[in-house]
This record gives sequence, C-alpha cells and structure tokens, in this order.
Amino acid sequence: MSSRIEILNDGGYRSDGRKQYELRDITIDLTQQGTADGSAQLTHGLTQVLVTVFGPREAKMRSQTLHDRAVLNVEMSVAPFSTGERRKRSRADRRILEMAAMIASTFEPVVQTNLYPRSQIDIYVHVLQQDGSLLPACINATTLALVTAGVPLLDFVCAVTGGVHSTSPLLDLTTLEENDVPHMTVAVMPRTRKVTLVTMETRLHVERFRELFELACEAGQTIHREMKYAVKDRTVALVNAMDAGSKGGAADDHDRDVVMDDRI
Amino acid sequence: MISFASFPSTSEAYGRYGNTRHHPDVEDDVHMDLDEDDFEENVQRLTVPGESITSSHAFMRGHGTYVDNDEVIASVAGTVERVNKLITVRAVRSRYNPEVGDLVVGRITEVQPRRWKVDANSRQDAVLMLSSVNLPGGVQRRKLESDELQMRTFFEEGDLLVAEVQAFFSDGAMSLHTRSLRYGKLRNGQLVTVPPILIRRLKSHFVSLPCGVDLILGLNGYIWVSKHVKQSEQEGEEGFDAEAVYSNKNDDIDEATRAAISRVSNIIKILAAHFVPLTDSVLLEAYEWAVEQESSVKDLLLDDVGENLVASLGSGLRQ
Amino acid sequence: MAVALVSKSERDYIKTSLQTASPLRADGRSLLDFRTVLLETGVAPLANGSARLNIGKVAREGGGGTDVLAAVKLEVEDVESGDGVDGGRVACSVTCSPSAYSHLSSNALDELQHDLTVILQQTIAHRSLHPSNLTIIPGRKAWLLNIDAVVLADSGNVVDALFMAARAALWDTKVPRTRPVEYRAPESSRATEKETQDSMDVDQGTSGFDTRDMARDAADFELPDYWDEGEVLHGRERWPICVTLNLLPPIHLLDATLTEEASIPLRLHLMFSFPPSTPPILQAIRLSGPGELDLAYVKSCITDGEKYARELFSALESKLREEDLRRNTKARDRFSSLR
Repeated sequence: MSSRIEILNDGGYRSDGRKQYELRDITIDLTQQGTADGSAQLTHGLTQVLVTVFGPREAKMRSQTLHDRAVLNVEMSVAPFSTGERRKRSRADRRILEMAAMIASTFEPVVQTNLYPRSQIDIYVHVLQQDGSLLPACINATTLALVTAGVPLLDFVCAVTGGVHSTSPLLDLTTLEENDVPHMTVAVMPRTRKVTLVTMETRLHVERFRELFELACEAGQTIHREMKYAVKDRTVALVNAMDAGSKGGAADDHDRDVVMDDRI
Repeated sequence: MISFASFPSTSEAYGRYGNTRHHPDVEDDVHMDLDEDDFEENVQRLTVPGESITSSHAFMRGHGTYVDNDEVIASVAGTVERVNKLITVRAVRSRYNPEVGDLVVGRITEVQPRRWKVDANSRQDAVLMLSSVNLPGGVQRRKLESDELQMRTFFEEGDLLVAEVQAFFSDGAMSLHTRSLRYGKLRNGQLVTVPPILIRRLKSHFVSLPCGVDLILGLNGYIWVSKHVKQSEQEGEEGFDAEAVYSNKNDDIDEATRAAISRVSNIIKILAAHFVPLTDSVLLEAYEWAVEQESSVKDLLLDDVGENLVASLGSGLRQ
Repeated sequence: MAVALVSKSERDYIKTSLQTASPLRADGRSLLDFRTVLLETGVAPLANGSARLNIGKVAREGGGGTDVLAAVKLEVEDVESGDGVDGGRVACSVTCSPSAYSHLSSNALDELQHDLTVILQQTIAHRSLHPSNLTIIPGRKAWLLNIDAVVLADSGNVVDALFMAARAALWDTKVPRTRPVEYRAPESSRATEKETQDSMDVDQGTSGFDTRDMARDAADFELPDYWDEGEVLHGRERWPICVTLNLLPPIHLLDATLTEEASIPLRLHLMFSFPPSTPPILQAIRLSGPGELDLAYVKSCITDGEKYARELFSALESKLREEDLRRNTKARDRFSSLR
C-alpha cells in the first residue's frame, strides 16, 4: 500500500521539507544521568533515545562471564508512548531482542573488551520517541554513552539509514518514508571506513544498493563530525573545570591551556 | 519544604550540545599537523577515540591507545599525556583503574570461603583474602579454621572498609589488604562518591579538617566522611583492639559534628558536580567559605550557592 | 523500593542523626524537606500529555536523582464490541529501567514493575477520579486513557515521584475534539447521482456524512480541524498525589534517599486528592515494610500527611501552571518567528 503523501515531490523536496540527502537535526546531551558511568541522550529529528552505560564492572551472572574478555550486555526498552500508536512491548519482545542483539554485535568488534576479562559492560537503551532511523539513533547514542563512560573503543560507530524512492536515494528516513520505500541501515567506523553493520529488511536492486551504500557511508562521516564535536565540547569543559579547580584559577579563563585537535 | 524547578535548558546545560551542520557539502575541518610541539609543557591536548595521535615508530603506546598501521590511535576521550616515549590517553571520566599501593574505600558485596568480594568502583569486584586482614588476638597470628567459620563477624555484606591495593590477579582483579592499623572497617560517618579522576594522589589520603571531621579520600572515588578520631585512640594502647576494629557500633557523635559531616559531604558533592579535583586545601577553603557565608547545610546544594562556592575557590590561593 | 546495600554502622549513624533533638539528614535536610524537584511537561510530542520529573538531581556533572518520565496516550475503543467501557477507561503501567535497578534480576524487576503498576492503577483509575470527557459517542466509542510511566533512575522516593509525574502528565493531557457523524442516505437520490458524477469531494457538503451534532444516533466521529490540540481532561485539579512517610516512630521523614530507605524500611504511602472547594479526600493508603503500628499513630500520620500533601499539591500545581504558561509563550514565540 502506498501512502498518499508524496515521498519526493517534483521540486526535489521530501514530505518534511528536506532535500534528498539532508539529515535531520541532531541534538546530543552527554550530562550525567542517574548513577550511570556514562550516558547520552540523542535526539535525531523526532526520534529520541537515552542510553546509559554501566561498567566495565563485576558480572551479575557469573556463569556468563568470559575468561578473556568482557561481556557486552545490551538491554533495550521501548516506551509504550514512543510511537504514533501506543504499543506496549515487553522486554522479551522478539523485535526488541533482535535490535538489542544487533547493537551488541555492532559493538563487539569496536569495544576493546579484551582489556577487561570476566567483566561485564551493561548498555541500557531507552527508546523515548520514534520517528524513523531508530536503529541508527540507538547505535550513535550507544557510541556516545560508551565514550562518556571511558570505555576504550577502536573508533566511533556512526550509523545512518538510507532508502531509495524509485531511483532516487534518500538519507535519514522518517517513519513515513520507512513504511514506503526500501531502506537499509549502515554503521561505519569513520577512521578506517570499515562497516560494522549493514541491515536491510526490504528488497532493493543491487545497482541501487551500491549507490545507496556508498552514500550512507559518506553520511556516516557527517554524523561522526556531529558526535565528535559533542564529545570534544564536553571533554574540554571537564578538563577546563579540573584545571581551574586544581590551579586555583577562576572558571572565567576558558580554553587557556587546551589545544583542540580538529582533524577528521 | 518543597520547591520545584525546571530542567536546565539545552543552551545552559553543561556538556550539552545542540547544533546542526548538514550533509553533504560541509566543509572539512582544518587539518592540523602534529609535531613535537604539541607535547610542550602546559599545553594539554585532547583527543577522542579513533583519532590518530602520532606515529608508532617514534613513540610507544600506553593506556587509552592502540596501534594500527604504524599509528598510535586514541581509544578513549581525554587528555594526551606523554612520559618520554610513552603516550597515554587519560579518559576524562571512567571507572577506577587501580594501581598497587593505592588507598581505596570499598563495600563488601559477598562473603565467600576464605575471602570477601569488595565493590571498589573498578572493572571487577576486588578480593580481600582472609589472610590479608588483621585477625583478633594479635596482628601476626596464624589464621584458624574458626576464623573461616566466623568471617561475618569481621566483615559482612554492606560493610565499608578502607584498604590498600596489594596485587593483581591474572584477570586484572585487584586484591586488597587491611593489614595496617589505619585500615579496616569504617564507622562514625557517611559515604560520598565522586568520579575517581577527581581524587589526585596525595601525600596522605587521610585528611583531618579542623572542624572535627576526618576524611578518607579513596582513590577509587569513594570518600568516607566521619567524626575525627584522635591518633592515639585509633591505634589503641595495646596496638590492636579487635573489638574496636570490627565493631559496628558508632561512637557518640554530637550534633555539631554531625552538622559538620553533612556540610563537608555536601561540599564534596558540589565540587564533584563542578568537576573540581579534591585536595585537602581545596576542601578546607571551601569549608571555610561555607561557614563564612553562614548558609545552612542544605542550601549548599542549591545551584547558585554551589556556583558561588566554586567561584570563590582560588581567590584565596591567588592572594 | 530498591534496597541499597548499607553497613550496620551507616544505618545506625542515619537513625541516630534523625533521633537527636534537632534532626539532621545526611545532606543537611530536616525531616520534612524535599530535595529539589525538576519538572517539565510536554516532553513527548507523540503523546497527548507528558512530563518528566526528577527528584534530587545534583546540578551539572552531579547526576543522580529519581528520574521518571510519564506520558498519556489516548486510544479510541469500541464499546459495542466489548473492548471499551462506556464513558472511557483509564489504564496505568509502570516500566522500570534496569539502569535504575541494575542490581536486580529481570524477574525481580518485573515484580517491582508490577507492584508499582498496581499502586498507580488502583489509585488513579478509581471511579471517583474518572474524567467526564472520555466519551466520544455514548454507548459506542470511548477513549482509553493510557498512562505509561518509565522509571529511568531511582535514588529514593520513587512512589511520590511516580504520582507527581503522572499528575503532571494528566494535567498536560489534551483530549482531541471530536464531532459525531452519521451516515445517512442523501436526501435526493437524483442529486446524488449528479453529484457523484461531478466530483467525489467530501468537503462540499454533499457527502453522505452529516456532521451536525447528533449524539444519539451517531455512527462514527471525525476530528475537526481546530487551532489547539483539544480540551484538558475534566477535573484535572483532582488527580491525586502521594506523600510517603518513612516511619521511625515517633518521628517520620519525607522524601527519603536510598540509604535512608534501606535504614528505615517502614513506609506509609498516602494518596490525597484535593478537589477545589471541597475537603481533601484520602484516595488510597498503603503500608509497606515490616513492622506494626498502633492505630493512634497511624491516625496522627494521616493528619500530618494531609498537611504535607497539601503543601506538595499546591507547589506542584503552581509549577504546572507555570509550565502551561511557559509552553504557551514558547508556542506563541515560535509562531510569531515563523511569520
């Protein structure tokens, strides 16, 4: 069933007024939440997720520990009010378990788990609102939460969705677009341009796939920049606060001794 | 009795970040070449995971880095530190990374055969062996089977203790010991937790403030705030008094001291919230400010009072 | 609700401090002081009403606090098929995040969730509080009002937080305006034939839908376009709040932290409603924790509880009105900036 709303109109605009390759606004909040070791609240358009990270810490389930590395435990909960139509999903919901497993496998090769044998890293993903691109939002927020928790990562993981409307590729789909066009999610590590996740549940022509895949990888770099700025902002703020405190200077002399390395 | 406030707005909040650049056609950031100058004194360099720091030919990689393709690359977000040829990145916030000889404050989570498990804010619970504690009836006595059967009379679940990191197991878990008269079970006060990075290595982590409050600044970020106990009392006449060491009973504490303990705890919370590293001099200065302002203990936790407190710091040091 | 690990000496220290002549708590509060409560309404744009509430968050990097997110979502239910109830119904659910209770097993977490859901459901979904404007078409369609609360972090006093958040979300709720419609054969069949050939446009007043008010025989309803999101729930002033008295006879304290809760296990939850210009109503009462109380003491607790609840209630209400104002101004500003 196709929706009555035009996915891409003649002027080249999408239903929410964006251009084909335009991403929605991303807002990142890395302030401390509760007792978590690291947390990130990421708002991507109308999609909003909160990820908290605990660990590495003593494993709760001793039988599940690994003798040579830490276990990544991803648990996901979706707020019943997060969607247009209310839907309460239990924690054992198949769809949720699948998403959590995808997030875990995305981060397995990225987190340096070998540094923490027999430990456990808990990643709790809370979906507060959904309007498309849910998995990328979860992945990006998880990256940020792990970074704020000081968990060693080989690189950021930056994810984005892409879809194809007839022959035109689109980036960062909303729910409306996801329901209508074939789409996929790609997660990249920006430095090496390695891909840690590709998932697609709909059919797509192989030619289109290639084009879209490359486009999504490129968009990942843009998202990386946003995420990196957020992390650097916070790091600078905290380091400055520590300097001011320990050197007895007041907080007014900012940026005094800090050099930002802004290379991509 | 109750007051409501609003969540900090996006622009005010600390570490919040809201801005958008659109894809594509975003200008690339300015490239900066890195050379030895970046390691100049007083210049701190910040990095984030995945960022290349330098070539691995000239430098060795330390904590918070890894090597890929002849490059030393950061794996955490924080400050780059260099000691000779060794490059490390210190995460700005993380769990406690123990070193042998560190003083920590921990909480017993589990009693196991001949050992206790201790939560010390690290990657795994620490281990306190029965053989690593002072036993009643003499410091140097051998441990007996009867000791094994009554381990809970020494420490039980929930008990807080101060200990030293003795060694590491092969999997990275730390083992602790309390074989000193200054170590052991904690009484007469309350616990405050802060990010471990805010506790710097000091000459002594036992701090006595003139207001009759003792502090134990655990390097793992757990801080014990308690009533001042005189040195001689602490050590006891015979050197070791098992009753006292493993007692769960608090001494009599007067109201003034209790108020002082609460005040110091709140000061620690504020300083930690503003990410100010805690040293004895900072704490003392902050305490004096708080007393001078005659603010009530609970008001310290109000935002503006906290801001003023932190702003006041350093004015004393500068003079 | 969650039991923190505390040592005997910590417990003793807390209790003794509370029982001195001028009781002092770990953070300097007196017995009846609350920690600062942060509140924001309208946080979930896809819901009909929502609020986020935090008790005791320390500014900046301090974190902490009991963090609750609550949202109301309305669904249309068919009364005739037996799904719905005439006049609408209210359903509550509470989800506890493992990040708030990371030491609990998933079974224990489920139990806790269930327990909190029951407390909320029994109080809020009670007949005496039922809003009168949940009917769409009498006898046919009605709104199902879902309140979903998520506990994101718990640093004590989670029940009070839940009730405050639920009250805020309910206060914020707007019920969409509906207009009953009836399908009726067009008056003149000839005209219809002609019209259908001409156009299928529904908006021309020639449709089979008659949209005049006809509460009695209405078959279905439509959502008219209107400038606001709808009307508030009727009787929104009545939604109850909870005060939890942590009992250490002869004294009691409010807004306990986790360590205080672990040290003082006996708790009395009192849910009060304050309908305008009528005496307050005790909607629910619940004693939790081990121990026994004599009746006179419970009575005095209820009397005291009412006093605290009223204070809490009026503070919350003025905050809610402030939030309404803030959001209206924000919307107006945004609107004028667009123009």
